[in-house]
Amino acid sequence: MNHMPIRLVVNGEDYHLSIKPNRVLLDVLREDLELTGTKEGCGLGKCGACTVLLNGRPVHACLTLALQVDGCEITTIEGIGGKEMHPLQESFIEKGAIQCGFCTPGMINTAKALLDQNANPSEQEIKQAIAGNLCRCTGYNKIVDAIQSCSCKSVKKEGEHK
Amino acid sequence: MSQLDVVGKSFPQIAAQGKANGKTKFVTDLVLPRMLYGRVLRSPYAHARIRSIDTRRATALAGVKAVVTYEDTPKIKFGPRSEDWTIFAADKVRFYGDEVAAVAAVDKDTAEEALELIQVEYEELPHVISPLDAMKPGAPLVHEDKPGNIAAEFKIEAGKIDQALDESYVVYEDNFYTNQVYQAYMEPMATLADVDLSGRITIWTGTQIPNMMRMTYAKALGMSPDNIRIVVPEYGGAFGGKMENNIHLVAAVLAQKSGQPVKLVNTRHDDFISGNPRVPMHFDIKLGATRDGILTAKDVKVVGAAGARLVYSQVIVATACYRVDSLYRFKNVRAKGYTVYTNTVPTACFRGFGNSQSTFVLESAMDELAVRLKIDPAELRIKNGIGPNETSVHGWKIASSGLRECVIKASEAANWNQKMKNKTPYKGIGLSCCNHVSGNRPFAREFDGGSGIVRIGKDGRVSVFHGESDMGQGQNTAFAQIVAERLGVTMDMVNVAQVDTDISPFGLGSFATRGTLMGGNGVLAAAKNAYDQMAEVAAELLKASTDNIQCRKGVFFIKDSPETRISFREVASQATIKYHGAPIVGTGFYQPPTELPDPETKKGNISPAYPFGCQIAEVEVDPDTGQVSVTNFVAAHDVGRAINPMATEGQIQGGIAQGLGWTLMENMAYQDGKVINSDFVDYIVPSCFDVPDIKSILVEPIEPNGPYGAKGIGEPALNPTMAAITNAIYNATGVRIKELPVNPQKLLAEMKKRDKQLKG
Repeated sequence: MNHMPIRLVVNGEDYHLSIKPNRVLLDVLREDLELTGTKEGCGLGKCGACTVLLNGRPVHACLTLALQVDGCEITTIEGIGGKEMHPLQESFIEKGAIQCGFCTPGMINTAKALLDQNANPSEQEIKQAIAGNLCRCTGYNKIVDAIQSCSCKSVKKEGEHK
Repeated sequence: MSQLDVVGKSFPQIAAQGKANGKTKFVTDLVLPRMLYGRVLRSPYAHARIRSIDTRRATALAGVKAVVTYEDTPKIKFGPRSEDWTIFAADKVRFYGDEVAAVAAVDKDTAEEALELIQVEYEELPHVISPLDAMKPGAPLVHEDKPGNIAAEFKIEAGKIDQALDESYVVYEDNFYTNQVYQAYMEPMATLADVDLSGRITIWTGTQIPNMMRMTYAKALGMSPDNIRIVVPEYGGAFGGKMENNIHLVAAVLAQKSGQPVKLVNTRHDDFISGNPRVPMHFDIKLGATRDGILTAKDVKVVGAAGARLVYSQVIVATACYRVDSLYRFKNVRAKGYTVYTNTVPTACFRGFGNSQSTFVLESAMDELAVRLKIDPAELRIKNGIGPNETSVHGWKIASSGLRECVIKASEAANWNQKMKNKTPYKGIGLSCCNHVSGNRPFAREFDGGSGIVRIGKDGRVSVFHGESDMGQGQNTAFAQIVAERLGVTMDMVNVAQVDTDISPFGLGSFATRGTLMGGNGVLAAAKNAYDQMAEVAAELLKASTDNIQCRKGVFFIKDSPETRISFREVASQATIKYHGAPIVGTGFYQPPTELPDPETKKGNISPAYPFGCQIAEVEVDPDTGQVSVTNFVAAHDVGRAINPMATEGQIQGGIAQGLGWTLMENMAYQDGKVINSDFVDYIVPSCFDVPDIKSILVEPIEPNGPYGAKGIGEPALNPTMAAITNAIYNATGVRIKELPVNPQKLLAEMKKRDKQLKG
């Protein structure tokens, strides 16, 4: 298989790579860029552990061919808060929404995409957003709580940056 | 007990920050220079003779560094309990997923391609999936030397069971079935193995039992245990499923043959078909009571499917035979258990360890008795529930028991009495209790208990070493809290080291809801020892006696004049100078007051403490579709003392979600001997919409044998969930669910049957 050139902007950094066309974004992030915060839970787009933000929208990195997103902006868990913790990350920590933590990066990315669109989501809207992100440890109660409790906080902080 | 500064408070997990920002390295994230990627070729048949394996084309493929089969292993039979394992299938495959060969290659694609080039000639054999079929005469034999496919039998009897049944006012008799479900931890099983110049192997993997596993693997590899090192990084969940598994040994053999590090990560499909899911069980039960609702007798027969080799299923079937007997004041009990080989994936531990299966059965039967006796189900539990300072029918010494308080508090919180009185059609409420252990004396026969090492460096940083396992439940955080409390330091001063069998104490591991009590007492003993050494130096510096000083929040002070003080860090620094660089190292162990059960009667106090719980579920059933929604959940659990209330609540909520999935959604389905739903597309686990709000109530009777009074919570969190839901379904529909799971089709059919009976 011939390699193909590709440009990705990941967490604000420019990467020029040469990859086999059959490779999925998940593997390129994890193996080539060594951004292992994005997890593989099923490889079929059913668990959400690999969720990253593609131009701000959540996608399954395990189902996305890297070549499909040539030139796109991608945010992974490593880039979500910059140098500081994003309020969602703080909230997940404080509310006990993290147990094994394997679903956490995907969960936080999904939640961020939601809050960026809808600053004050209802419980139902939060559940709709994370319905495709599986967690086997927490029973979801504390995850929903974490997202809910930081929704306003998140808006305020982002407002301050502007 | 004096005022507690750290224990009993809700702290986030000490690893939470790294998990939240993606910095935590899970097993699947680990990389070593020159690392190869492994893949396993698995059997496509449930049962077949291997005629030949040709690996030549795979070996010749560019980028392939090793191809291995049974011939490349030491050919030693081994196993954690029963030596019926080999690393690869020798002459025949015994289940769909059985290990046949493996490759290590420079990348995943090459490994995948190489697998396709291995040619195996099979001669298919008749297979058997159900353990009841496997026991029948003429059934295919999974192991030729095991007639009737009987892998193990278990018997237990106490009291005069036949007489007690005869004399009972009412006897409920029925059959139940609990199905095979998969742990579905979010990180699949994974291993990284490396061999050094001397041949010593290091295995990095997520395991609940690093030390015991090392002993089993030493036998399998024909090596001395000290030539195997197991390191446990952070890993993504286990729920009982991550113990011995051939994947670790396959990685080791690939690393030996290639001379390079090998990472082997199960695809989700491979994890389904070669992990170690729950032991499916058939139950026959007779349960008797007096007219007043006092339990008289329990008689059960259990048949469990081991799958194609024994992992821990025989111990799990034994547990299903009798552990639940200590929930109530039984006097007469009998059980017979059969563990049966089948051509299915080997089954093993899953949160509850057989007690969840039998709790579903007993607590369903309890509600049937309640109906027959016209007694409120909650009252029936309170009448029979075992209390503090009682000894159960099997000789278990129940020191603390908050069982009755759990029933009362859960009932109050759920508004039980009112909801039982005011029935709404197709809405129901159901209750179930549970008991469990905090450690299981007969599991590791040499000893039980826990141990720890607490090291204090010159900078005052505290490092805790233990040999249990944090699989994501927050064990390390609980240990840090216990150590911080005992030393009198703050949480930010304590670090918990990853388990490394070269350094850590020989802990038995995290299973049997033992981590917090056994490991917690172990690190507590080590912390006491370290504190005593620190106090000696501090007393000298403060010019006081050790009896008159104390340390709290990182400061040593004289009790009578707290202004005379010195920081913990300064004491640590002075101690290191005094001892010419040697750190303070405290070690200690905990010997629990348990007994190995008598081999004949099985009587003996198997655990230092027994947790209890009561859960109440509310459901709504759609009469047209049979769809069940769980609308509310209350869970009251006797945890002794919650070391970390937030984490304890998290355990309860997670346990209930898993129990809910088992009851209503999950089932490993077989067709032609193959698991046909081996991914999250077809095997559906609960999403956030399936799990209701869960109200947790912590009942804290302070267990005298627990560290700061704590017992465990891991397994009791799930044990009562199934019957709480099915009892609520009964309350809503009048249909008794006797087989898990309750899918809509099944419930709809049962409701139609009920309607016919009512009309007829």
